[in-house]
Amino acid sequence: MEKAPKTAKRGVFDWSILGFWLIGGLLVLFIVLAILSIAVPELGNPGHLADVATDPSVLLTLGITLIAGLNAVAILVLIGTPLAYALSRSTFPGKGLVESIIDLPLILPHTVAGLMVYLLFMSQGIIGAPLGNVGIVFEDAYPGIVVAMVFVAIPYYVNTAREGFETVPVRLENVARTLGASRSRAFWHITLPLSSRHIYYGALLAWGRAIGEFAAVIMIAYFPMVISTLIYYRFATGGLSEAMSVALVMIVICGVIFVLFRLLLKKKEGPDDQA
Amino acid sequence: MIRLEHISLQRGSFNLNDISLDVQSGRYYFLMGPSGAGKTLILEIIAGLKVPGSGRVLLNDNDITDTRAEDRNIGFVYQDYSLFPHYTVRKNVAFGMKMQGKSLSDQEKNVQRLLQQFGISHLADRYPTTLSGGEKQRVALARALAIDPPVLLLDEPFAALDPVSREECMQGLKDLHHDNGITILQVSHSRDEVYSLADEVALIDHGSILQTGRPTDVFSHPETRRAAVIAGTENIFEGVVRAKAGGLNTIDVHGVNITGEGNYPPGNRVVLCIRSGDITIRKNSLAADFIDNIIHGTVVSQIITDYTCTLNVEGPLPMKVTIPRKNQGQSEFQNGEVVRIFFSRHQVLVLPFSELQEH
Repeated sequence: MEKAPKTAKRGVFDWSILGFWLIGGLLVLFIVLAILSIAVPELGNPGHLADVATDPSVLLTLGITLIAGLNAVAILVLIGTPLAYALSRSTFPGKGLVESIIDLPLILPHTVAGLMVYLLFMSQGIIGAPLGNVGIVFEDAYPGIVVAMVFVAIPYYVNTAREGFETVPVRLENVARTLGASRSRAFWHITLPLSSRHIYYGALLAWGRAIGEFAAVIMIAYFPMVISTLIYYRFATGGLSEAMSVALVMIVICGVIFVLFRLLLKKKEGPDDQA
Repeated sequence: MIRLEHISLQRGSFNLNDISLDVQSGRYYFLMGPSGAGKTLILEIIAGLKVPGSGRVLLNDNDITDTRAEDRNIGFVYQDYSLFPHYTVRKNVAFGMKMQGKSLSDQEKNVQRLLQQFGISHLADRYPTTLSGGEKQRVALARALAIDPPVLLLDEPFAALDPVSREECMQGLKDLHHDNGITILQVSHSRDEVYSLADEVALIDHGSILQTGRPTDVFSHPETRRAAVIAGTENIFEGVVRAKAGGLNTIDVHGVNITGEGNYPPGNRVVLCIRSGDITIRKNSLAADFIDNIIHGTVVSQIITDYTCTLNVEGPLPMKVTIPRKNQGQSEFQNGEVVRIFFSRHQVLVLPFSELQEH
């Protein structure tokens, strides 16, 4: 009698994936250990942590950081979305060069990025000078933080949004146009909703990148302090424990925001999934 | 009426060459050709989605070459139907009317009418991803017709359908054309579709129109070798005219003399086209009535479909012969069987040989 072929039993663990998890899980472990190295000592002294978490200067800095990040993302969405769409729908000589320029903030040392932003927006800079004349100052000022954040976050938003637009077939826009929609109405009614998940995700990435920026920000605006500047300041003046408390507060707030946002994205029946 | 006048367009290495077409109002017109021939590009030019490098597009004698796609009011259905995946069927169908600025009540009224006309009222609140191919096609047609276009452009609308849905949809389109009198320009590479639906057909290859006319004329009398290939002629040979007498040519094809209707002078190179369905085949042992051309051969393989069997017959002239299938799963011939094949002079189309077309 022939032996029946072995069949996989339902619900049996796929052991072959375990090796991948064992190797890849090291990266997750790396991040978790880094968080624990701050969290464990800090949670051992909850009184001090609570003092720092309710310190008005820390809260003010946190507020400035989060709101400046939102402002930077708003600017990126307004200007970066048309750029991402144009890139997704155009072919022209030199397109690779434009894409490389957009990617530049990814590979530049952040101090170099900060220097470039500073030279543009300082009081004698080619953008900073005329805007200074109408009362918009960037050096050691809130607008300086925002422009530095925008600069470093450009590729995160533009590239993610562009990928989203590229997932929407041009034929859908074509059909919309034959049905009477102008190019811009086809964009609003068809392309934008269908790439919304990418847009949201790009904005989240850009925001995360923006609020974590340190070097580029301090080059143009040491004050008002953003959270990374404050952590560095506390580390330099008060030692490791002072810096760690602020850092843990930042980790918790960012972690909560990111997890909530991801849950929202998952819950939202994304048109990207339906396309 | 749609008229294309000397339309040319270069896209990378592909050229659309001097396309001129006349599609009269109310006609069902087909563009037929192999993949990559430029058929869809022609539809997109008519719809205003691509701008031709030169030439003019006229709709009812109005030059619309520079009119934007959104202002042309021409219905378009792509091969994949391109339904908006984030909209329900109802919203898909209403989209064009919304863009036209029609009131919500008008939109709803027309949507109801179209959904009913296409038998898809029960799908109104479903999303496209949940629909079958046939249902998607009906939604796409309803959406295209919602803007009340004088012309409907269809890009291989049956390509993604199973045979049953395909037949239903073909009948649906036939009825639609009959009832609405709308002008339809459809892209296809199926002879069945052209025979079933078309008033006229244009054969297209490598960005050029080879031939236009009624389907029976075009398929029975292709004017060039390439047109014969696209029209589905299975047996095409090159030969040299040996004799000419009384409107007949005797043509030498690889040492076999074939008689066909033609007036080419002896010595001329010609192309012979013989449709596989026009050939009679008999078992070698059976006697045959006199006929112009008789060739012996051996059946080497067979392709059996629902109703027909196409035999590959090897011999002095390798030929394909299509016969009705007699028994289920079997043809009356066996592989390796010696047979005789017959065809009359009327079934041999003799075309002039053209170096340009052969290469």
